[in-house]
Amino acid sequence: MNVLIIEDEKALAYEVELFLSKNNYICEVCFNGTSASEKIAVNLYDFILIDLGLPDYEGLDLLKEAKKSRPEAACIILTARAEVNDRIKGLDLGADDYLAKPFSLLELQSRMQAITRRKFGLVNQTVDLDGFLVNLTDRTITHLSNTVSTITKKEFDLIAYLILHKNRTLTRAQLSEHIWGSVVNDDYDSNFIDAHIKNIRKKLSVFAATEWLETVRGLGYRIKTNV
Amino acid sequence: MKLKTKLTLFNAISKLVIVTLFVLLLPSIIENINRNYTDSRLIKQKDKLLQIVKDRGIKTYIEDGQSYGSYLPLKEEYISLDEVEADYYADTIQNERRSVERDTIGYRILSHTFRADNKNYLLEIGKSTETIDDTTGPLQNIAFLILLGMILLTIIADQVYSNYILAPLSRIIRTKLVGTKFPSFTSYSEVKTSTSDFQHLDLSIHKMIETIEHAFQKEREFISNASHELMTPISILQSKIENMFEQEDIADEMKVRMLEMQKILNRLKSITKTLLLISQIENEQFLKEDEISLTDMLQDLYEEISIRLQDKNIGYALALSQDVVLINVNKFLLFNLMFNLVNNAIKYNKPDGSIIVTGERVKNYYTININDTGIGIDADELPYIFNRFKKIKQSLKQDSFGLGLPIVKSIAAFHNIELQVRSEKNVGSTFTLIIPSKLVKQ
Repeated sequence: MNVLIIEDEKALAYEVELFLSKNNYICEVCFNGTSASEKIAVNLYDFILIDLGLPDYEGLDLLKEAKKSRPEAACIILTARAEVNDRIKGLDLGADDYLAKPFSLLELQSRMQAITRRKFGLVNQTVDLDGFLVNLTDRTITHLSNTVSTITKKEFDLIAYLILHKNRTLTRAQLSEHIWGSVVNDDYDSNFIDAHIKNIRKKLSVFAATEWLETVRGLGYRIKTNV
Repeated sequence: MKLKTKLTLFNAISKLVIVTLFVLLLPSIIENINRNYTDSRLIKQKDKLLQIVKDRGIKTYIEDGQSYGSYLPLKEEYISLDEVEADYYADTIQNERRSVERDTIGYRILSHTFRADNKNYLLEIGKSTETIDDTTGPLQNIAFLILLGMILLTIIADQVYSNYILAPLSRIIRTKLVGTKFPSFTSYSEVKTSTSDFQHLDLSIHKMIETIEHAFQKEREFISNASHELMTPISILQSKIENMFEQEDIADEMKVRMLEMQKILNRLKSITKTLLLISQIENEQFLKEDEISLTDMLQDLYEEISIRLQDKNIGYALALSQDVVLINVNKFLLFNLMFNLVNNAIKYNKPDGSIIVTGERVKNYYTININDTGIGIDADELPYIFNRFKKIKQSLKQDSFGLGLPIVKSIAAFHNIELQVRSEKNVGSTFTLIIPSKLVKQ
């Protein structure tokens, strides 16, 4: 997959590039709008990540250009402005997603994966975890045709996020940012991930062992799978 | 007391004093005028008589030493001419009593001696005091009525004029001071007046409000800019740490330290995001176009917080009198408002405590109460709980940075929802939201 990263903050552009490259994306980086505009006109991309706060270019104009000349490319807006109107305008102009800075690279990746799934019409994406079939589309978990009905929305979100980043240790901070991200509160470290994981294990162990859901001591959690 | 009332009152009282004073003085004044008038008439009559005597001689009146006397039938006036001893002298006007044909009547009498034909004569002209008094009464009444009329006229004139002249002042008070949602003050509308004092006042108030508003605006802009500017460096740091986790040559021991960094960075991020949110709410950057069912929202909220309740083993009861649909609200903000209130109710609760959320319609409003069995808030700290970064004593033990209630306050104010707090130390607190009828779907 080809990704164009348009970000004037070089250090950030570099980190995004590093992360996505490691995850098998082919990246190109632009630090200003003018060169980005040229690149969009010439090259083919699957993803275009646009920072709205470019010094030489109105980010939304760039989005318009991209949507016009490369309608097949998925555009994700990255911005520190976080203004409510920007979000609405961006989505109205055809942006596929919108991420406010500071965002987690894992979140970016999961959004990109979600877009890919949508674009390629993966109707039934099911992951097999030692007999537990997790259907990411229907948001269900079944074990030997028994549905695990006790799993709550939050718990499923947690499992899905771990599956999306399978074989990678996710820290409590990363997990809680994903599932509590939309809530603004004043806790230093509102971390109830351990409690959630404990509940998930309890609910699933009724059916079978859950060794695939690993605790990485001192760091976080990981779903180990070979599939 | 209003200035206008005071002026009116002063006006009325001062006029009343003048009237009373005048009424008290009136009889003696009228009497004085009357006496002077009578006296001048008596003198005129005397002069005329003396002229006649001079022209035609004393014999016109007196012959053979007989005295002359004449009076009108009702005896209100009389005249007498008498020969007196040569050395007798009189030239006075006095009140005296005289008997005229068995009637004793009070007269004002002019006595005057003069010489004619080598003889000394005494002239007396009298006017009964009763007739003088007869005119005094009506005169007094007329004077009193005219006075009263004039006073009434001036009171009315004063009233009308002071109303007219003070109108700009009450307009200034009404439009600029009362009922103005401070400090959101709309553009300057000049109050038309020719009184320079009021012009000055109007302009000064406007300038002051402008200055204050400017300061508020600057503060909001600063917070907004500062938090925006902080987002990018935080973003870079966060990405760097995340990428470092991916690196395989980093020892676990190092990763644990990176985890600490990530936690601290999250704290910074959380504070910055919260400040930005508050500034966005205060700058009215959110839309209020959502329609939500309160029951649904509280159900979502329960899902979010159930893990926290479980952690402290806190009981949670929800009792809404009926399902209510809220309109013209921002769903995201309202959810955050409720989340922070309930989250606080958990955080400051005792283990095994309870939280009761109730909702009911009261008159035109809908009220939501969030009642906890927590540690409560000291009465002297209650006024400060909504201040930013203000950490009250009890909350110091908690892992928070003191922006939860400021968020709640901003969101409530943004929706015109009134917020009330009651709290008893070691018993618990109740936060009440009073939702105006405009936001409740009927």
